Amino acid sequence: MTVYLLAPAALRIAPDDFSARVRSRFASELRRAGRFAQLCLLGAQACLDAAGGDGPLGVLWASEFGALHATRAALDEGLRRGEPAMPFAFIAAQPHLAGALLAQRSHPVTRTACLSLAADAWPSLPQLAQRWLADCERVLVGWVEESGSGGAAHRSDWCLLQKKMMPGAVRCEQVRSPENAAAATAEDWIPRVAAWHGSTNAPLVLRGSGDAWRFTLNG
Amino acid sequence: MSGAFVRACALASALGPDLERAVERLAGAPAVPARNTKIGGAWPYFAIPVAEGDWRRRAEAIARSVAEDLRRKAALAPAQWAALPCIVGSSSFSVGAWDDGGWAALEPSFEFSRRLARCFGVHGPVTAVSTTCTSGLSALDIALGLIAEGEFREVLVLGAEFANRLTVAGFAGLELLSETAARPCDRERDGLVLGEALAAVLVSAAPAPWRIAALATGMDAHSVTGPAADGAVIANVMRAAMARARWESAAVDLIKLQSGGGPLADSAEANAVRDLFAPVPRAVSLKGALGHTLGASGPAELALLLASLARGRVPETWGFAKPDGEAGLAPSGGGAEGVRRVLFNLSGFGGSVMSLALENAG
Repeated sequence: MTVYLLAPAALRIAPDDFSARVRSRFASELRRAGRFAQLCLLGAQACLDAAGGDGPLGVLWASEFGALHATRAALDEGLRRGEPAMPFAFIAAQPHLAGALLAQRSHPVTRTACLSLAADAWPSLPQLAQRWLADCERVLVGWVEESGSGGAAHRSDWCLLQKKMMPGAVRCEQVRSPENAAAATAEDWIPRVAAWHGSTNAPLVLRGSGDAWRFTLNG
Repeated sequence: MSGAFVRACALASALGPDLERAVERLAGAPAVPARNTKIGGAWPYFAIPVAEGDWRRRAEAIARSVAEDLRRKAALAPAQWAALPCIVGSSSFSVGAWDDGGWAALEPSFEFSRRLARCFGVHGPVTAVSTTCTSGLSALDIALGLIAEGEFREVLVLGAEFANRLTVAGFAGLELLSETAARPCDRERDGLVLGEALAAVLVSAAPAPWRIAALATGMDAHSVTGPAADGAVIANVMRAAMARARWESAAVDLIKLQSGGGPLADSAEANAVRDLFAPVPRAVSLKGALGHTLGASGPAELALLLASLARGRVPETWGFAKPDGEAGLAPSGGGAEGVRRVLFNLSGFGGSVMSLALENAG
């Protein structure tokens, strides 16, 4: 199945700016949503704003470290209060909640999954999205990492994959035997597609640990 | 229509350290879960009866034991086994290690999943997935995709949920737990009882007695902690599973309910079932016996149900005694003659709803 990519968006947010960014986009911090879920939502919503469209939506995102830092922060908070845990920090629910939060914002979400993958396993993410497109019109694909303790920016990178061709969309094809493919990581594959988009007519071929993906400007 | 089959299952749960003992125990008299002060404080908890050193060493010991059982049943050549990809579904992964080891013991979900895969002796690609209580079925969903595309003929699916105080404290904070016992579908039900399990399901393209005919998913965004009261999304997902399996509703012989004893969630599922079926087929819930094993519950309940059916029994629903007239579901166990098509429901926090259509391929 040929799939088309829209609106690649790479969000970088300094930890000190995070709360202000959330309030600016959603009017307030999101009740019961941990930092990781809010970080997912900021990037996903930015991508959807740029892509537009409607129809049944899958939401599929991955992370190497997941909500590890958010979990530690929540445990710290609980320990300070002398309580064992705040309810929504106790299971790996934080990342997953982002799907429900999107659905509550009137997006027709039909399925979601949050994966934890090695950084070079990113090609499996668009591959899984391609399978999901058999059941839904569009799949929002993201890679999200919280800032660690070193002060690096939070990252929330997203793009929209869909079956329907549109002007400006990027054709995506899996390449089983990648030749002349550039090595890419979870951290940079969406930003590289975003930077390449519109800059040249030559295809972009990126590979991870196994397969590669070829991105071609449509038409 | 899926061309994937359940080749073998293994399970460690509160019913026993292996699947065979669990099925035997399930055929006996119901037991009330102990109040496990180490794990649950004041709350009852279904713990795997394995004592071993610290949290991580215990989890790995359980994994090696389940792996040995599955490997024997799977009867794959050593090279085939070693090359298996492994998809791990969990809602908590290694957060319990914090109980013993503090910050340093917390590791990314992927690292813990890779550790579990190593305990199984498999070295194919590892993926970890969390969709809260449906995590194990999400892992199965990924496995079905890998098989459908011909990338692999066999995929190892793990549902892993190991005891930890944080999970129990979180559910307690949301006032979702029963102080006594899980009573699925019962009119006196007053909450969930949590449990731990490690379940392994080997999914295969090669024919086996049970075929996975379809898996449907949905999102109920009514609330992040529970379904809408009318059960409409649950009904839609069950309907989609039957449509993809090309079943009429009258073809369903048995429904494995999500029902775990939560007053509102059980009612929502009952509404969905009544909306789709007249008369309502036989039904069973396994959470009164296993506890709600959260991210492990899909593979764990699948393993236990198929093993019971293989012995010719639909399990009794432990904890169910007095039908709730309003909900209108009355699970019943007994002989499994004629049970060829099973609808298998699961739902969880964050609005995730799934339904699996299982067909006895003879």
